[in-house]
Amino acid sequence: MMEEKKVKKKKGSFIGFIKDFTYGMATHGMARHALKTRSSMEHLFILITMGDMLGIPILPPYYSLRLLPHVVPQITTWKRRMLREKDFVDSMY
Amino acid sequence: MSLADIFDKYPDRRYIMYGGKGGLGKTTFSAATAYYLAKKGKKVLVFSVDPQASLSDIFERDIFGKGNIEIMPNLFACEVDADRRVQDYQEEIRRKIIDMYGMKKIPEEIESYIKASSAEPAMEESAIFDAVVDIVVKSDFDYYIYDLVPLGHALYYLSMASIYDAWLDKITGLREQMREYDQAIATMQREEQTSEDQIYNELVYIKERIGQSSKIMTDTKKTAFFFVLTPEEMTIVDTEKAAGLFAKYNVPLAGYLVNRVISRDLLNENIPEYLRNRIQMQAGALEMIDQKFGSTVHARVPEFDSEIKGLDTIKKLAEVMFEEKLS
Repeated sequence: MMEEKKVKKKKGSFIGFIKDFTYGMATHGMARHALKTRSSMEHLFILITMGDMLGIPILPPYYSLRLLPHVVPQITTWKRRMLREKDFVDSMY
Repeated sequence: MSLADIFDKYPDRRYIMYGGKGGLGKTTFSAATAYYLAKKGKKVLVFSVDPQASLSDIFERDIFGKGNIEIMPNLFACEVDADRRVQDYQEEIRRKIIDMYGMKKIPEEIESYIKASSAEPAMEESAIFDAVVDIVVKSDFDYYIYDLVPLGHALYYLSMASIYDAWLDKITGLREQMREYDQAIATMQREEQTSEDQIYNELVYIKERIGQSSKIMTDTKKTAFFFVLTPEEMTIVDTEKAAGLFAKYNVPLAGYLVNRVISRDLLNENIPEYLRNRIQMQAGALEMIDQKFGSTVHARVPEFDSEIKGLDTIKKLAEVMFEEKLS
């Protein structure tokens, strides 16, 4: 009995290892890329709805206020990203 | 067709609006219509969103910001306090943020954004129309009589609503795309299904609300929009212009009511030159009204010798408007 379990576990972890391995080889990069795109979209969304926080005029804020609570955690990173200075030196390093 | 016939013929038109320039008698007509319908056994709410609302004055009761107040059996009146509504709404957002993240205090930049939003001129319009949706959606009344703020407001809102609608479609689309990414990421990382997107739900709600509020003004089955004008050339020209604009936004125009007509019979009496001139001027203007609006003019209401104030004079006005003796 004991042995059987052990074998099973070993087998399970082996499959798990294969899974993790293929994930690392094939999908991890894709997932990372997707996550990055997803967060850019999130920032784009906040820009469209709350742009006036940065001085970009947007549509009347009555209903945008309804969305505000949901984006509170992202506001700081969004602002940082939007206001980050970009110049050619950035691409050199 | 008389005004009473119009109401008989179209019983589905439950949202009644009087529009026109300021000071022509929109509020008195709203009150008189409410009185008439209430006397006919209909349950009526007459409401105003004007910060300088005059329903309190005309009914001689302070009803500002107090909800639906019963004036007489079947007749209720309500004056929405738009300012307070905006404040309550902002407070609700603050509370939501605090509850959602267990914060003790709203972060500085968020707080200043919330505060700044009330300075936006459109904020009040949106709050007003949102309040109207709240009032109408409950559907507690047979008739809703909307004592409209001067025309610009309504037009502005209607145009805003259509732009807002397009904007919402765009960002809802973006949100849907984001959702697809979420799902793809979850599959790649072999996670359970992602949680519901609250923002998407909010967007759907907002779209619905805006749709409802502009629908109240543009529903051809349920809405009747009457223009109030006086027999003066300038008012006629302005009204015609406004009617054109309203038609552009598909507001169903139900007709025109002429107010403050001085009786021509006075010409046979010994009256001062001033009055004689005015009557003649009105005669010309009335002809112009007939030419322009013809059979869509449903009532000509005479100039009263006293201000319309209190239920007794409202009753008199209603009897003239609807050409019917009321008990």
